[in-house]
Amino acid sequence: MGDYRVLNTRAPRIDGPAKATGQAKYADDFKMPGTLYAAILQSPIAHARILHIDTSKAKKLPGVKAVVTSREAGLIKYGVSPARYDETLFAHDKVRYVGDEIAAVAAFDQDTAQEALSLIKVDYEELPAVFDMFEAMKEGAPQIHNEFPGNMNAEVHQEFGDTDAALAACDLVIDHTFLNKRQDAAFIEPHSCLAVYEPSGRLTLYTSTQVPHYVMRTVAMTLQIPVGNVRVVKPYVGGGFGPKCEATPLEMSCGLLSKVTGHPVKMSYSREQVFLHSRARHQFYAEMSLGVMKDGTMVALKNKAVLDGGAYTSFGIATVYYSGSLLGGPYKLKSMKYDGYRVYTNKPACGAQRGHGGVAHRACFEQLIDMTAEKLGMDPIDMRLKNIMMTGDMTVNELDMSSLGMKECIEAIRKGSDWNNKKGKLPKGKGIGMACGFFVSGAGYPIYRSDTYHSTVVIKLSEDGGMANVLTGSAEIGQGSDTTMAMIAAETLGISLDNVRVYSGDTDYSVDLGAYSSRQTLMTGHATKEAAEEIKSKIALYLSQELNVPIASITFGDGIVKFDGGPGNFDKLRTNYIKEHRGWTDPPSGEYLTFREAARLAYLRAGTIVGTGKYKPPKLGGSYKGAAVGTSPAYGCSAQIVEVSVDLDTGQITVDGMTDAHDCGLAINKMSVEGQMQGSLSMGLGECLFEEVKFDSRGRIINPSLGEYKIPTALDMPKVKSIIVESNEPNGPYGAKEVGEGAIMPTIPAILNAIYDATGVRINELPVTSERLFMALKKNAEGAKI
Amino acid sequence: MKKAIQLTINGQPVEASVSPNQTLVQFLRDDMGLTGTKHGCGLGDCGACTVLLDGKAVNSCLVLAVQADGCQILTIEGLAENGKLHPLQQAFVDKGAIQCGFCTPGMILSAKALLDEKPNPTELEIRTAISGNLCRCTGYQKIVEAIGEAAEVIRFREES
Amino acid sequence: MLLPKFDYHEPATLEEALRLLSEMGGNARIIAGGTDLLVRMKLKVEKPSQLISLRKIPGFDAIIRRENHGVTIGPAVTAAELSKNELILDRFTPIALAAGRLGAPVVRNRATIGGNLVNARPAADLPPACMVLDTKLKLKSATTEREIEVGEFFRGPGETTIEPNELLVSIFVETPAPWTGGAYIKLGARKTLEISMVNVAVLLTLQDQEGIIVDAKIALGAVAPTPVRAFAAEEYLIGRQPSTEVFHEAGAIGVGMCEPITDHRGSMEYRCLMIETLTSRALNQAYQNALAWKP
Repeated sequence: MGDYRVLNTRAPRIDGPAKATGQAKYADDFKMPGTLYAAILQSPIAHARILHIDTSKAKKLPGVKAVVTSREAGLIKYGVSPARYDETLFAHDKVRYVGDEIAAVAAFDQDTAQEALSLIKVDYEELPAVFDMFEAMKEGAPQIHNEFPGNMNAEVHQEFGDTDAALAACDLVIDHTFLNKRQDAAFIEPHSCLAVYEPSGRLTLYTSTQVPHYVMRTVAMTLQIPVGNVRVVKPYVGGGFGPKCEATPLEMSCGLLSKVTGHPVKMSYSREQVFLHSRARHQFYAEMSLGVMKDGTMVALKNKAVLDGGAYTSFGIATVYYSGSLLGGPYKLKSMKYDGYRVYTNKPACGAQRGHGGVAHRACFEQLIDMTAEKLGMDPIDMRLKNIMMTGDMTVNELDMSSLGMKECIEAIRKGSDWNNKKGKLPKGKGIGMACGFFVSGAGYPIYRSDTYHSTVVIKLSEDGGMANVLTGSAEIGQGSDTTMAMIAAETLGISLDNVRVYSGDTDYSVDLGAYSSRQTLMTGHATKEAAEEIKSKIALYLSQELNVPIASITFGDGIVKFDGGPGNFDKLRTNYIKEHRGWTDPPSGEYLTFREAARLAYLRAGTIVGTGKYKPPKLGGSYKGAAVGTSPAYGCSAQIVEVSVDLDTGQITVDGMTDAHDCGLAINKMSVEGQMQGSLSMGLGECLFEEVKFDSRGRIINPSLGEYKIPTALDMPKVKSIIVESNEPNGPYGAKEVGEGAIMPTIPAILNAIYDATGVRINELPVTSERLFMALKKNAEGAKI
Repeated sequence: MKKAIQLTINGQPVEASVSPNQTLVQFLRDDMGLTGTKHGCGLGDCGACTVLLDGKAVNSCLVLAVQADGCQILTIEGLAENGKLHPLQQAFVDKGAIQCGFCTPGMILSAKALLDEKPNPTELEIRTAISGNLCRCTGYQKIVEAIGEAAEVIRFREES
Repeated sequence: MLLPKFDYHEPATLEEALRLLSEMGGNARIIAGGTDLLVRMKLKVEKPSQLISLRKIPGFDAIIRRENHGVTIGPAVTAAELSKNELILDRFTPIALAAGRLGAPVVRNRATIGGNLVNARPAADLPPACMVLDTKLKLKSATTEREIEVGEFFRGPGETTIEPNELLVSIFVETPAPWTGGAYIKLGARKTLEISMVNVAVLLTLQDQEGIIVDAKIALGAVAPTPVRAFAAEEYLIGRQPSTEVFHEAGAIGVGMCEPITDHRGSMEYRCLMIETLTSRALNQAYQNALAWKP
């Protein structure tokens, strides 16, 4: 690790004071004169043909400015992956889930907009609906999209090596199945958007999104506005975790209504609408077989997945690939077979959520490893240590572990949790469990096929030389990317963090694919570093010319410039700087030339000093079908140990402690890394123990609220011990890689393995409510009696 | 029919006219421009709209503006004094207790109500005090640490 | 989320409140803390055209000790206040404990005992706690006044014996006999911010520190359309020497009183099993509290 001044510290976030004082602006905080309020009419029926839509009464309601349906919006298909564009802004022939969008209105106030919705008359012909993914696959099931017979949205079949032969040659093969439930990201800020269409033909959206770039492209396409005329501005965002990774009907409706009315148009989803829009974690069914040798060596893995996709594709193609590809590590396997099926049902569409596609299958796999270790009489940690990959290893599906501190993570939690003194030694009702995982540091390819840069960054120095302004389209959504970019810029330029400002989340600033697949630190970080380096070389060039010194003799650091390691002779620059800034309060002083003076000189010679940086990954991955999904320039990894107490009389589970180690490469900001780790654990705990979006028999969500969809409170989370493991990632800026999603991978299986340790009962269905566990304990006890 | 109300917001007397069906959070955000109070669920489930009403932490989405007539309201905008962050705000910044920041105003105000009542709270008391304020980003750990640190800073400041 | 339109009244006296109520009848709803009513109005479950606030009525937020025989609790006393009040904690323990488990602090600071009783949600926290204590509700209209035992108040989910023109004006709870202890246990998914899957309130009175059980009250919530008393279990307990086995048996008998449903929070079967477990657990806790009774 290098000797850093800014990086690798616990610097407070640069957006902290704004957020702590309430000054930070989120999309719903924006207001403009003349703003209209919009509302969307959503289907109350899960599957129906639309016979007729009558908007005449709504249009006549005083205060209503516009009512739009598919007639005005057109029928341009959109989606996430161009291979599966299966949505139109408004349903025209039929609705496919309760919540499907039919029309939108804009009115002078929210009450009127809501009233107008109630005046739109839609005649439906109800169709049989299907809500269960296994039912949807059966012959004769209601067909949701004509283009996809059998409701088969996507199928993946991959095999590396001869898995059946490898399993046949194993000493032990164990099978396991696993079923999670549909989950919601439950970010605290509902989606919100303000659209401003100007007479010039330009549309600006102020919106709560993770991906300004993709929103810009989708909105331009669906609203038929030249992409150069669409600007997406992302203010502060109150959490995303995946579902804010695609353009929403809310954004498109606001844009369309602003275009139609010429007014700014604003809309926010209610919490119920957040659940109806969904795009969150799928329901996954996993079926696996793991084959090992007597000494614990893992040989072959067979993996089958069925995903309940809901009514549309969203991110689903990537999801169904990830469920296979992300099991290639962090263990060495000789062969692996994967069959994945994503199925349409008449429910809101599922999409990406933290740990995209990998979480449920990881939970199944890591339980399977524990089950195998038990059969072999091995400690689960020893079994994993025997099989883990090391830096430089390649997974069976050709993912390159260019750095991997898996061993260090496992050893850190073993020690940090006092595992050796606890495993197998706890009283009944208390348990300890562990698991591992890994995740990409940025998807290797954009969502649409393109040679685009994944990130570009512009750094622009202020005219006095005292401030470096970083301009980027990257998305600060709470994960801390603004602070990360500021730190990388400051470190590279050799100036203090106070002398860097970040302007982000605006498609006019730069190209950036946004905050998904844990990509900002690595990819935007690279571009930021390159931009800062260009600035440095420009300044060095002008200094060398002005002072007649070799460029190689000039170094930057701590806000000053050195010449051959010493102060050099720069008197005339200082005299000139002070003369130009007479009366200012902070004249440069000290033995050395300041960065500010040097930057000012560069400005005087060349005008505004700008550095640009760019990044796209090299060609990654194998050449088999779907090889792109799962590729990344780098992989983060983690290991966790969870300790639980189970109330054997009620089935209630208390998580007493969690020990977590994550390899994030160089920790740019240690405090932010811990924050991502702890947040991941909290989400994993919630998904494991409480969270489930539930439907009634007609496809309506029973619990579309944060009262009934239960995420952990401060009283549900234990104290967490977070251990940062720092490998040196050759493909990351300053050796850095991801932490935002990899950290959730081990949480669910670690809890499940701990519950097994506490009770002797293996749970393979989420969430592990007290009822589910109690009934399993009861069944187990009755089984034992017989 | 609109109703006239008089109340004190962040120390400033305010007279206003509100509709009976306007909630306090709508009044603060839409009429007073105090958008630091966040709107997260509207049903009292998340705590993002927490303000102090006569010193007590409440969900302002479940209080009518007319019910605040004659009351003292403290929002996040009223916490810093003379441009200097309140010890709770400072500790939240310093300890990494803020990520997306959407729960932060409510979280800080629930913590303020706690520390006003119990200057030296236990960890369980801290967790209980913020248990109606949901945070999806942090896992609460750094928030709990920050509140503990702020309590110390405030106690030290008052002793000296 | 938007509230439907309504008129708002803030009477300064009880008389005025009762007059408004009698004039408006079924179109009016009383608002105290609003944590339940405003949610239901936002969800369009209720659309009253008139709201009458209790905010200004003197004494409605007071807890008044009635020397030696009880306490009078104003209907607008908040759950937060009940959970922290020393007298309630000490002598009327189940009420304090149940109030402390209602929602979270931001909810408890607004939610009132009157609201929690009158709204009559089957899973509400305070009704079972009041039912194990000797609790009387005073209901007034512009022309009538009556007192009713809390056990006779609940009729079904959201339904009570209160008339549209009546207001709950006070809650009187008699001080339990010496050597009494109480408990309240709530089972939900999370540790807080929960609607009960099952809740149990218990009050146990001993003859003396070593003596037999002379009185027992058990009330269960979320297991029937209204909170219910487990009379058979109570009868079983009276006259017996307290023991874990006796409490366990009482729990088993208690299940017989319940007719829980299966809903998305829990199944009928699990709820029944938990009634047994939690009742016996609550009895054990109440017993410990009774042993610690001080004059």
